Amino acid sequence: MKRTFVLLLIALSLIFSSIVSAQTIELTYWTHTDDNRSEIENRYIEEFQKLYPNVTIKRVVNEAAKMGDLVLTAFSAQNAPDLFNLPIEQEYGYMIHGRVAPVNYEAAGYANAEELVANYLPGTFDPVTMDGEIYGLPLELTNWAIYINDRVFRDAGLDPDVDYPKTWEEMIEVSEKLVIREGDIIVRRGFDFRYPYYLVAMLPMVEQLGGALLSEDGRTAIVNDDAWLQVLNWFQEFGPHGRNLGSPTYTSARKIWDYDNDDMAMCLSGFYQQGRLRIDNPEFFESGEWRVIPFPVFKNAVQDVACAYYGHYLMVNAQASQEKQYWAWKFISYMLDHPWEYLETVNIIQPRNDLLEDPRFMELPYMDVFMNDMERGHIVFLHENGYQFERFIKEAVESVMLENMDTREALDILREKIQEVLDDEY
Amino acid sequence: MRRKRGFSMERKKALWGWIFVIPSLLFFSAFSFYPIINAFYESFFNRNLLSLRPPRFVGWSNYTYLFNSRDFWLSVQNTAIFTVGTFIPLVVFSLILAVFIMSISRFRRFFQLAFYAPAVLSSVVAALIWLLIFDPRGLANQGMNALLGTTGVNYNWLSDTFMLRLSTIVVYFWKYIGYFTVLFVSGIGAIPHTLTEAALIDGANRWQLFWRITFPLLKPTTLLVSVMTMIQCLKTFSTQYLFTSAGAPTRPLNVITLSIYNTAIKDYRIGRATAMSILLFLVMFAFTWLQLRVSRTEEVTFM
Repeated sequence: MKRTFVLLLIALSLIFSSIVSAQTIELTYWTHTDDNRSEIENRYIEEFQKLYPNVTIKRVVNEAAKMGDLVLTAFSAQNAPDLFNLPIEQEYGYMIHGRVAPVNYEAAGYANAEELVANYLPGTFDPVTMDGEIYGLPLELTNWAIYINDRVFRDAGLDPDVDYPKTWEEMIEVSEKLVIREGDIIVRRGFDFRYPYYLVAMLPMVEQLGGALLSEDGRTAIVNDDAWLQVLNWFQEFGPHGRNLGSPTYTSARKIWDYDNDDMAMCLSGFYQQGRLRIDNPEFFESGEWRVIPFPVFKNAVQDVACAYYGHYLMVNAQASQEKQYWAWKFISYMLDHPWEYLETVNIIQPRNDLLEDPRFMELPYMDVFMNDMERGHIVFLHENGYQFERFIKEAVESVMLENMDTREALDILREKIQEVLDDEY
Repeated sequence: MRRKRGFSMERKKALWGWIFVIPSLLFFSAFSFYPIINAFYESFFNRNLLSLRPPRFVGWSNYTYLFNSRDFWLSVQNTAIFTVGTFIPLVVFSLILAVFIMSISRFRRFFQLAFYAPAVLSSVVAALIWLLIFDPRGLANQGMNALLGTTGVNYNWLSDTFMLRLSTIVVYFWKYIGYFTVLFVSGIGAIPHTLTEAALIDGANRWQLFWRITFPLLKPTTLLVSVMTMIQCLKTFSTQYLFTSAGAPTRPLNVITLSIYNTAIKDYRIGRATAMSILLFLVMFAFTWLQLRVSRTEEVTFM
């Protein structure tokens, strides 16, 4: 009798534990480092797990620069996270190759795609829509404008209210007045770019002049040589072999601008820079000695194009089980239900209508500049080989800026390389 | 009967030998031989790293593509320049430093430790330290200006093609000089004192002692160091990767390993990347084979 009871107890405990383990969902969420975001998202995870005790979420943080390589390696080894975020330029390939799952509207709290789209700024889902399905929810949508240090302007005898650069030609002239050199070495730069991000900041300069990276049918590389040559000439004039105003080999402009050390007057960055400035240099943040101005245009521009905006979208692994996908979308939706907290704590914009229509939103410092520039701009160039094209543009700009290569030669090499990729049937 | 017992003893020894060797053989098979064979197999296919579609067999076309690719030959040229530019000074100066260390009686351990210290650092940390030094406002320009009596000259350590290649060579030289010095130190230490003492008694001066006694007896170590240096240089990656990520132009630094990384991870073309890695493997294999052949004819015994 006793033996039968023990056996029965073991059998029951086995059945019970298998039921429990079958019901427990463990999700892995990979994202990039951001201390402010970690703080609120860890709290969301705790709250979500309390609401749904059958779900456990493991949040893994990786360095932003390494995220692309890590996620790619994990997917190719069939060991990818259940949900993740990357810049849309990188995520695009995952959509093309069917590695991410379409949004589960029911899990995300929407009746259908139309209801989801209606809740966000028009165009938000264009980059993640394919064959009528939506593949990601926006963690942030970012565009860049130019941050100015007023004190440095005044120190150079410039009035930041009127002398700020409106055109790229003026950018060179104003930078010349702001720059301080010791011999050839620049100790204070007027302005400098964010060099690796050519699709975000340089391609719009080409578009201002009527150029494009690819023809409309996507089969021919480099449209309008004159536009490209003018932009490459501009970079050559800006660089060490021209008027020596800046270079990719100096410390990143955005990183040193915050510290107000009289070494950087202008930098290119997003709204999130304000959050970093508040932490890095609260005194400068509160000083009222800085401002944000729109992305300049060339004097002979044929169209007004601002810096391209890009997004980090939260996506779900298509190889995860249906159940995991359901809970991943539910969790993503739960996190994204706090757009104000993301804005106030992390300084990132989630383009939900309820946020954008809130009167407090436009009262945020220089939000009007960013929103106007967003209207002037468009989503960053998206292509299966976009990453590769950006590397080729980087090589072209470096060749003319740092190796003083003839701009025509650099453009021809760029065209040849991109065309080869377009023609390659790999 | 005696023969039988001896044979069984030998078999026993052999069995124990196998038992000790099998774990490392399994380890190497799983983590070295299998990846090499798999890479060779993969190089005959076109496979997109992100795609779920099955790979497409393309025969030798990845290899023919590479042999006709200007970028590939540029990366071969960059690798050759870096290898030759690094391995010659590394071998020469590590030998000089080893002789210097062995010739002093005081502070010998201190110098050994000081030279070896950079080898302990990871390549990434080493490259990051040198990026700060080569920054236009960094120590390299300040030092060169002080040395040459110039003011404010930018020596373009991170932008000019020649200086950029020199910069990567300097980083590698600094990092590995201590490691190879220690190899030479142990090589010199293995030469019996009786030989040097006999030469000194015969009236040899230090110069003659080095060229007639130490150097010839160091040939196996010199060969080992030169081949190891060459293989190490052919595999260089992190310095070039970090320098190009920090804004240095890619063209002069695009060594084969960087090209493999970009082709696989940035362009998703894993078949083409594996073809490149197989070609690099063959070059390294040829050097290893050469070293084994040469070292067999240059064996030194101390009677």
